[in-house]
Amino acid sequence: MPAWTCPFCSLLCDGFALVDAAPPHLTGSDCPRAHAALASHAEAAPAVRARVDGQAATPEAALAAAAGRLAGWRQPLFGGLGTDIAGARALARLAGRVGAICDHADGEAQMHGLRALQDRGQYQATFGEVRKRADLIVCVGTTAVERHPEFFRRVGVGEPGSPCEGVVFLAAPVPGRFPPAVPAQSVPGTGDLFADLQQLAALVQGRRAGAMDPGLAALAQRLRASRYAVLVWEAGALPAHGALAVEAIARIVGTLNLTTRAASVPLGGGDGAASVNLVVTWLTGLPLRTRAGEAGLDHEPLRCGASRLLADRAVDGVLWIASFDPARVPPETDLPCIVLGPPAMAQRLKADDLFIAVATPGLGAGGHLVRTDGIVIVPLERVRDDGLPGVAEVLQALDARLAAAGAHA
Amino acid sequence: MTSLRLRGGRVFDPVNRVDGDRRDIGVRDGRIVALDPREPVDQAIDAAGCIVMAGGIDLHSHIGGGKMTLARMLMPEDHRAGIAPAPPSGNPLALASCGHCVPGTAATGFRYAEMGYTAAFEPAMVATNARQAHMEMGDIPILDHGAYVVLGNDEIFLEMLSKGAEPQRLRDYVGWMVHATKAFGVKVVNPAGISAFKFNQRKLDVDERHVHWQVTPRRVIHALARAVHELGLAHPLHIHCSNLGVPGNVASTLATIDALEGLPAHLTHVQFHAYGAEGPRKFSSAALQLAEAVNARPHLSIDVGQVLFGQTVTASADTMRQHANAGFASPRKWIGADIECDAGCGVVPFRYREQSYVNALQWSIGLEIFLQVNDPWRVVLTTDHPNGAPFTSYPHLMRLLMDKPFRDEQLAKLHPDVAAQSALKDMARELSLYEIAIMTRAAPARLLGLADRGHLGAGAAADIAVYREEGDAEAMFARPAWVLKDGVPVVRDGRVVATPAGGTHFAQTAFDEGIEQVIATHTDRPLGLAPRHAVIGHDELCRCCNPGGRLLPAECLARSV
Repeated sequence: MPAWTCPFCSLLCDGFALVDAAPPHLTGSDCPRAHAALASHAEAAPAVRARVDGQAATPEAALAAAAGRLAGWRQPLFGGLGTDIAGARALARLAGRVGAICDHADGEAQMHGLRALQDRGQYQATFGEVRKRADLIVCVGTTAVERHPEFFRRVGVGEPGSPCEGVVFLAAPVPGRFPPAVPAQSVPGTGDLFADLQQLAALVQGRRAGAMDPGLAALAQRLRASRYAVLVWEAGALPAHGALAVEAIARIVGTLNLTTRAASVPLGGGDGAASVNLVVTWLTGLPLRTRAGEAGLDHEPLRCGASRLLADRAVDGVLWIASFDPARVPPETDLPCIVLGPPAMAQRLKADDLFIAVATPGLGAGGHLVRTDGIVIVPLERVRDDGLPGVAEVLQALDARLAAAGAHA
Repeated sequence: MTSLRLRGGRVFDPVNRVDGDRRDIGVRDGRIVALDPREPVDQAIDAAGCIVMAGGIDLHSHIGGGKMTLARMLMPEDHRAGIAPAPPSGNPLALASCGHCVPGTAATGFRYAEMGYTAAFEPAMVATNARQAHMEMGDIPILDHGAYVVLGNDEIFLEMLSKGAEPQRLRDYVGWMVHATKAFGVKVVNPAGISAFKFNQRKLDVDERHVHWQVTPRRVIHALARAVHELGLAHPLHIHCSNLGVPGNVASTLATIDALEGLPAHLTHVQFHAYGAEGPRKFSSAALQLAEAVNARPHLSIDVGQVLFGQTVTASADTMRQHANAGFASPRKWIGADIECDAGCGVVPFRYREQSYVNALQWSIGLEIFLQVNDPWRVVLTTDHPNGAPFTSYPHLMRLLMDKPFRDEQLAKLHPDVAAQSALKDMARELSLYEIAIMTRAAPARLLGLADRGHLGAGAAADIAVYREEGDAEAMFARPAWVLKDGVPVVRDGRVVATPAGGTHFAQTAFDEGIEQVIATHTDRPLGLAPRHAVIGHDELCRCCNPGGRLLPAECLARSV
């Protein structure tokens, strides 16, 4: 049984093993997300390696056709962005060459955190710190485990020696998947997450204004009394304008840190979102939703959103990358698409989508991803040989073809 | 075989005691060689009217790793020209990459090479973030690079120390951490203070106890300095002292020196640690005190961390001090992080203002230190990029050090009390080109144990910078005529013409492998990972640092105290 690092959510669990059967399955965890993802990658021998104009093609022919399409687009959109760090490094260079705008499939949620960070900053903790120090964990607007099923195990809640004295779910129910020995409580709030967080921020500051929700008042008391409180938030669970909620969380943490200790922990950034954003930022200086145009790098977190660009027809072609999830197909559009995805994605695509099958990092390829808490880069193991190239190889080959043709942004 | 001759430049090569002599430099296959003057070469470069130095080496510059990318994310305004996008470089070799105080990695390599620098060292690699640091440095074109791993706030070390672990065990642990993270050196940041802040301690003097582990910074400093020395790492312990930025902190700095008990060490960005508490504002220069302490101890070296005016962002593992200073953030936002029972991270944007008494005095203190430390081999030119100023301001700093009238002119623009009282106005010293070559090339290479870098003798790597000689040192150092990296021209007339991948310097330590069992008793997740992922192997390091970049291992020869 090979030890395995699960690439299918941003917890990147590396403590479980994989039984190398067909399909491979996980032991040591009943994580529904990992089990479902493994089942979706059941085909070991890919039926389709590449497709052009609805016809099976050799990888070489598909690369040539893809390079031709890319070179012809005036404003490409690189979407999906489901890849690992190596793929992201190649993607940033190719995007720079063709002047693409890059946005992740979860870009709307991703911008909640990024925009709050750009406006206010944050104080954050990593899993190891939560495990060692957090006496109070507050999950804000999320059960945490719905999309990150192993979360509480990863931060040691319920384990012997855990400092955690209780978990509060603000504006979320206590989930079924929760260690029974740990006191858990739901604070439903008023139904308006933004208003609740504003109220909680005021209460934590020791201010009172009008009628306060008693559940929130009690929570503020607990936060102020805790030695090290951790506020968990999940970008994908936040409503529209979620940056305001993230900003309020940062403010609450900042207030607590004047007298006691506190930090936030973000959940999200799976499917390559956090990794690609990280790499693009370190290479170019600016995060996703940036256009590398003739006037320079132009970062526009609202204007450069993929759905807006597609709706406005501000782009004329889409390079879609989704190497983790075969169901993560490009958004509905009549624009020409080049798609890099797992073999099982082929059947879900439109006939005229140019398709090149790629290996999934953590299954058919090794690689690296950054964990949700943003500091630790976790190596991924290759557990089977499906003979497919990684996203990085395909993008480098495209870049080389465009370079040979003399294209640069 | 390719060969090249640089003809007729004035050579400044302090390692070989060459002080401005006019001579040719021969290069063959990336190395400097003694060429017969009659021997034909593939390329001849006319260096008449130019000065020739080894490529610059920055031994303390935050160029890669999590805190820098957090700073990039925090500061999109650093990557704009007002409300317009930052203009593109116009160089087809350049990946679109921009930024002033926190440039992207692609731009970082270009900006350094464009000043004649060919190597830079990331001084604060958080162990649990080592892969990212190596990846980012690997994505810096042209420059060789390496990193110092941050220790002395990791809970395993503090626990071992508090339980009285033998020096040999501590040495094995430090050796293993260097091995696991592929570090080149070891740095301690606010010894035990980052950890103490996690326990809500807000201040930690050198002889004050960590509230939980009960160890003092003094013990941490001595234990780490001894371990680094005994392991035989070329660079001694790199120390960011306690109480950064606090008025009167020169006492902590002197206590830190005392804690070394004669062991070698490098004190970093000492400008931030040379403050007195005299005068009406209870903030004064202690540069002389610091310089005297350094002058008296040949086992100490320093870099300055000069402050220069304008917008920057401060990035440090020192969460205790960054939290305390976050109220001064400009613009008003900041990032902090408690990291994996290992270290921390604080990113605070900052704008140094000429009319601020404190900032003006910081500027003065840095220059006073440069000018009052007698031995240029023990003081390295840095701004602690980006903490004191971006590295791109080095040419300006060189002129300040070399040109007394220019320095006086700048001083006169500052807060009037500083302009009137600074000891700087009475310092007549002007550094020579020879001394600048020491502080920016020869000394850092020696302090890092890089025998084949930082000089132009036969056998050295052909990392060479050629500057067109002119009276204005700032203009001269900002735009080299030629820069060669391992014998390949990478810059011509200030413009990058080739982008080879740089190499990765790392140290190969010897240690008792039984230490892995000791670590396993402290944590089931060394460096936050499953044990099989804790160590970065050579193959993985290559993948992290990008193909084409060479691995440059440094052997360690064990020493005894």
